[in-house]
Amino acid sequence: MRLGFYIGVNMGGVAWLGTRIYLAVDASSVAAAELAEGVKGYKLRTLAHEPLAKGALAPGASGPNLADSELVGMALARVLGRVGGARVTLVLPDGVARLALVEPPRGIAAREYVRYRLASSLPWPAAEARFEALDAGLGKVVAAAVRRTTVSEYEQAATAAGATVDEVQLAPLLALAGLLRGRSGDAAHALLGDVAMCLALVRDGALLALRSRRRDRSPGEASRLHEELRMLASRTRNGNGDVPLALSGSDAARLRPEIGAAGSGDRVAPLGLPPNDAEAAWLGGLLA
Amino acid sequence: MRRQPDFSTTNRPARVPAWQPLALAACGLLATFAVLQAFVAREEAASAAARLAEVSREVEAAAARRQALETRARAAGGEALAAEEAPPARIVAEVASLLPDDARLERLAIDYKRGGLLEMLVVARDAAAWDRLLQRMEAAPRLRELEPGPEARAAEVRSLVRARWAAGPR
Repeated sequence: MRLGFYIGVNMGGVAWLGTRIYLAVDASSVAAAELAEGVKGYKLRTLAHEPLAKGALAPGASGPNLADSELVGMALARVLGRVGGARVTLVLPDGVARLALVEPPRGIAAREYVRYRLASSLPWPAAEARFEALDAGLGKVVAAAVRRTTVSEYEQAATAAGATVDEVQLAPLLALAGLLRGRSGDAAHALLGDVAMCLALVRDGALLALRSRRRDRSPGEASRLHEELRMLASRTRNGNGDVPLALSGSDAARLRPEIGAAGSGDRVAPLGLPPNDAEAAWLGGLLA
Repeated sequence: MRRQPDFSTTNRPARVPAWQPLALAACGLLATFAVLQAFVAREEAASAAARLAEVSREVEAAAARRQALETRARAAGGEALAAEEAPPARIVAEVASLLPDDARLERLAIDYKRGGLLEMLVVARDAAAWDRLLQRMEAAPRLRELEPGPEARAAEVRSLVRARWAAGPR
C-alpha cells in the first residue's frame, strides 16, 4: 500500500510493510534487492540479478560511465520487474567516488570539512561535486565526493528503466557501515567491487584506516591483495598480534582460497560481511 | 544505524520511516478520542448543571415548607413559654381560683419548655364537686387543651388533669 504526498510529506516513500528496494549497478551486473526492515535490521526478501555484457558499463569518477545505456537500461528494467515495486534506492558502484578517512576539527560541520579536504584533489571542478560524510567512529568520518553528472547519468538510466529514485547511495559506504556496526570484529577488510575496492581496518566498531583504489585484476591479484591487507593490519597493535583478513564482494569467493594458499600463515576470515548470492559487499553491509 | 549519505542530484522529500505514519495515525486516533471525551464531558456538565438547578429548586421549596411549618408550629403554641410572661405564682393563683370549695389541688407541675403545659393532681370530695371543677376549668380563658385524666372514684375523685396555659393580656 502506497500513498502520494500529504501535507508536504512524501507518504509515497513509506513502505507500509517495511520493505525497501535497492537497485545496484556495477561493471559486470545489475541487481535489485528487496529488503524487509525489521527490529534487528534488514532481511533479504527478493534478489534479482542480471549480468551485463563486458564494456556496457565502466564505473569511473569522471567521464561517462554508461557505454551502452540501452543495454544497461534493459537489464535494470528486467531486475525491477522481478521485485515488487519501482521506488528504489540507487546504489552506485565502487570507483565513482573519491573516498578518504578524515577527522574534522571540533565545531566544524563534517560536510564542510570534507569539501575543504577533497575539493583540491578532485579531477573535476569542485562546484560539480557532491560532498558527503559517513560517521566512522572515534571522531572520524569517511569523506566522499561524487561528480554530479556521474550521479545524474545513473539516475537517468534508472528512471528510463521505470524506477523512481528515492535516494542515491554509494556501494562502498553501505559496505563500510555494515562493518562499523561491530559484528565483524577486528579485521583488515577488502571490500571488492568489479573495478574498484576499499581496504578498511576496523577495530572496536571504528574505522582506523581506509584506502580506496581501482582493482588490478591481472594474475597475482590475490597475493597483491594479501600484501596490502597485511600492511594495513600492521597499523594496529604496533604491528604485533593476529589481525584477521577478510574479503567481501566481487570475486571474493575466488580470491579467498588463493590468499589462504599463499602459505603465509595469516588467518583469512570466512567473510567479513554476511554472504549473499550477489557476492556484493554493499548487500552484505545492509544485511550485517 | 548510521545514516547513509544521499548523493541524489535532485532534492527529494526524505523517505518517511514506516513507524512515523503509524505514529501519526495513532496521534489522530488519540485526538479524535480526546475530542469525543471532551464532547461527552461537556454534555455531562450540562446535565449536572440542570440537575443542580433542579435540586436547588427542591431545596428552596423544602426551606419554604420548613419555614411555613415552623410558623404553624409557633401558632399552635409549640413554642416555649417565658417564665416572665406567666410567673408560677400567677398560674397557681389562677388555678386556685377555679377550685370549688369541695376540691383541692394536691400538686401542680408547670413545663415552660413545652409551651406552659400544666399537670394538676386534683382531688374532689365527690363526683358533683369533680364535675363543677371541670366545668370551671373548661370555662377558664387561660386554660386550653384540657385533658382530664383517668378518674379514681372511691370516696373521693382523684385525677391528673393536663392543660396548656394561654399567655397573653388578661
